[in-house]
Amino acid sequence: MSAPLALPETSPETPFLFRLEPAAQYSIEQLTAAYNQTRVDYLVPMPMNAARLAEYVHHYDVDLAHSFVAEADGQMLGLGMLGVRPRATWVTRLGVLPVERRNGVGRAILQSLLDASEQLGRPQTILEVIQNNTPAHQLFLANGFKEARELVVLRRPPGPPPFPPPGEARWLERAEALALLAQRLQPESWITDTPSLVHVDNLMGFVLTLPAVGRGWLIFEHQRHGKFIVVLARLALRTEAGDPVQVGQALLAHLYRRFPDLDTHTENIDATNPHLPALHALGYVESFRRIEMCRARGAGGPAA
Amino acid sequence: MPTVLVVEDYPDNAALVERVLKAKGYTVLLAADAETGLQMAKDHKPDLILLDLGLPDADGQTVVSWMRRIPELEKTPIIACTAWPEETARQMVTAYGCNGYIRKPINVAKFPDEIAAYLR
Repeated sequence: MSAPLALPETSPETPFLFRLEPAAQYSIEQLTAAYNQTRVDYLVPMPMNAARLAEYVHHYDVDLAHSFVAEADGQMLGLGMLGVRPRATWVTRLGVLPVERRNGVGRAILQSLLDASEQLGRPQTILEVIQNNTPAHQLFLANGFKEARELVVLRRPPGPPPFPPPGEARWLERAEALALLAQRLQPESWITDTPSLVHVDNLMGFVLTLPAVGRGWLIFEHQRHGKFIVVLARLALRTEAGDPVQVGQALLAHLYRRFPDLDTHTENIDATNPHLPALHALGYVESFRRIEMCRARGAGGPAA
Repeated sequence: MPTVLVVEDYPDNAALVERVLKAKGYTVLLAADAETGLQMAKDHKPDLILLDLGLPDADGQTVVSWMRRIPELEKTPIIACTAWPEETARQMVTAYGCNGYIRKPINVAKFPDEIAAYLR
């Protein structure tokens, strides 16, 4: 069912008319094309192909029936997607074509996503905005979102560990890995949370016991892109005993002894995560930061 | 004249780069995604690779790390093309073994000289 025609704030003589349609009415190829067009001038464009967007929808429980496309005269102007899980909804892939910005399209899409979240009865809505994306940040603040924390996106080029890995690693079966992930007490971001990782096919991991006092685990995705490319992704580290920096370095050294030739990218590490110094020591480079923002159910902003 | 492989997913950007380089006599090969770019790099062994860091199937850093595994491309100049902030771009290209980077949008007047400098 279509949402009503949106009449954003433009000159009364020339109202800018567009229609919001559920994203489920479009093919994944159409959504991919629209998404890529909305990101063409972004600080970090992150384009996708249809296969990656389909995977994204699957991994992150995106509900296309509660996601929206803004359309006028048969042209897609923008879109926004909604991830839906029992305890929250997640606004993602929100973007508007560069030439259609400042016409209220983004605000109308966001409002539809928030209305859908209300209808679904989830207690809160979460999103992430790239640091320094001021227009989007302002839009979210104006709609009742509050900053929760900073998240770091990191990369590491291929290369062996800088020191021999200490301790003994025991590689995990998938079920063991998922059980460990589920034990995490700190709140995870949407994309690093256990429900996301449950959808990942090639999840691997190991537990490590260090000769001195120290114990921890590392779980990650061995991710394939097309025919040629394999990368490591979605790192989850935990120190169960000992110093997180030492344990983290030891975990990473084991990882790169086994996979010295693979590039790694890992997203949404909490900026206060005690393993961050270990990641930097093992050659990780910061790509960019995101700000996680949350909005409690019913929390309005001036525009809501 | 040297052959330049341009790996760029956005058609307008690719067309602009192609036009500017062809006008200077370069042979230009175009790839719109990482996998095609890798295959073309293996098959054609270009003299220089101009690589967008944001590609739809894998990002540019990953592509560089895979290109550097191909023995014939070990010394081929790979130039990243990115709109990333200066500091991030510099860190990334250094870490991943690019020979340099060119900021997007390209400066059409300077661009051929920038490419020529990497081929010297």
